[in-house]
Amino acid sequence: MSPVVTGIGFVTPIGNDRATVERNLREGRHGISPVEFLGNPDLPVKVAGTIKGFEVDSPNWRDWSWPSGYEMPKELLRGMAPHGVYAVCAVEQALAAAGLRRSDIAEDPATGLYCASAGSAMLLHHNLAQMRAVRGTRGNPMGVVSSIAGTLNFNLGAHYRITGTVCGFVSACASSSHALGYAIDDLRLGRIRRAIVVGAEELNADSLLPFAHMRALSKQRDPRKASRPFDAERDGFVGAGGAVALVLEDPGAASARGAPALAVAAGWGQAADGYSVAASHPEGAGLLLAMERALADARIGPDDIDHVSAHATSTPVGDLAEAIALGRLFTSRSLRPPVTATKSLTGHGLSVSGVMQAAFSILSIAGGFMPGNPHLSVPGRECEGLDLPRTTLGRTPTTVLSNSSGFGGSNVCHLIAAPGRFTG
Amino acid sequence: MAPIPPSAPIPALARFPAEVVEAYQRYRASGDAGAVEAVVIAAAVDYRPSGSGAPMVVEDQTRLVEDLAYDSVAVAELVFFLEDLFDLTITNEDIVGVRTISDLRACVLRNLAGKARNT
Repeated sequence: MSPVVTGIGFVTPIGNDRATVERNLREGRHGISPVEFLGNPDLPVKVAGTIKGFEVDSPNWRDWSWPSGYEMPKELLRGMAPHGVYAVCAVEQALAAAGLRRSDIAEDPATGLYCASAGSAMLLHHNLAQMRAVRGTRGNPMGVVSSIAGTLNFNLGAHYRITGTVCGFVSACASSSHALGYAIDDLRLGRIRRAIVVGAEELNADSLLPFAHMRALSKQRDPRKASRPFDAERDGFVGAGGAVALVLEDPGAASARGAPALAVAAGWGQAADGYSVAASHPEGAGLLLAMERALADARIGPDDIDHVSAHATSTPVGDLAEAIALGRLFTSRSLRPPVTATKSLTGHGLSVSGVMQAAFSILSIAGGFMPGNPHLSVPGRECEGLDLPRTTLGRTPTTVLSNSSGFGGSNVCHLIAAPGRFTG
Repeated sequence: MAPIPPSAPIPALARFPAEVVEAYQRYRASGDAGAVEAVVIAAAVDYRPSGSGAPMVVEDQTRLVEDLAYDSVAVAELVFFLEDLFDLTITNEDIVGVRTISDLRACVLRNLAGKARNT
């Protein structure tokens, strides 16, 4: 049994609703803007994939604002991190798209919640600094639940009164692909009939600048040069915030309530590099195995894939590893599918990355297009033989391979397919 | 706490009415215990859960849990706000004894007095 996706929601640098995101993907319009952190114009981080329409920079939730139409009671806000606000908006969109009310999922033991975020470094820092300033005598009572890595599942689980499964995943940039994978497995095992999968990250000095200290971020000012995965001149990734949510259902359950399937979660696989805490395996060994395992899970071969959504973040080492792994998976050059790195448009949303790519793949399938790589100028030599279209292709993919890789060498790959495929 | 100039902004009270800010400044300038009441009531209203129904007059005998729908987390948030505003540390034992607005005000004044004795 392959679960179906019935709902989808977006808060991304390229739009905060499905129609806007799809239009910007089609037209190759990026959502990367100039930024300055900590009032320091000399920092080497000049651009980021910013979220528009929200104001969540303050550590005090009373200062936050979000687009109209979303209900955020203070009982929810007081325990949340900034990225939780993004996540609630994405989940609300996904539920509406799936034709579900909150009352449909509340206290339903067949509904599970699978979350991914890195927590809030900003709130953690703020709350602990506040505590240290008074030598530990007092502190924000919501400091723990609003800032540690499980903050998303704590808050969303309570807010939506989820009683089936509530869990969180912390494999860095593979986190939400892990969340999606384990949601698929729980659906297949019959433990639940419906899953909400959500990834979210905030974008601020505390979340992003530590990556500059790892020398992982691009120093470019021009968004078109800063995020250019697979380009020979790429010099690091561009940070991003946002949230993406999916509703997955047992196909029988979705059919019984007349909910149309947007796509099928056809299979997934994971494998680890066992190599470095931060860098990819130089030949993408773990990623290759993860792709092979995803194919085996879906019982298809490389020739069945007609589009690849690459993890490619625009780092020299990571993109090299993925290019080599893709070259080894698709051994027949004549059958190599187009490869797209959508981070050229969004920047890299870290924990959100995997579910964001899965959601973009669903838009491709539903909308009949394959996004291009508009910032790619001259591909690196390692990309020889890969089909890297610069502009959007007006072809409908039926099976998309979506890759994710995270710190510690975690690699997770998903196969997203058109409705009607892999329903057995 | 050192006196603060009347015109100095108080970020923690930025969302409160001017009379509450003035009361707080009066307390800071003169130690006027009567001024604390306005701040305590305003904070209790501000932190009341959103599901607590229509606005109501908050008086001395208004109960936090029964009348204002406070839960334990909201009580902890309210106490932390007052601790931070008045630079206090209120013990769990003190909080357990707070049922009404009057109890809360007395708790804050008691701790302020204790702090004054120790400084």
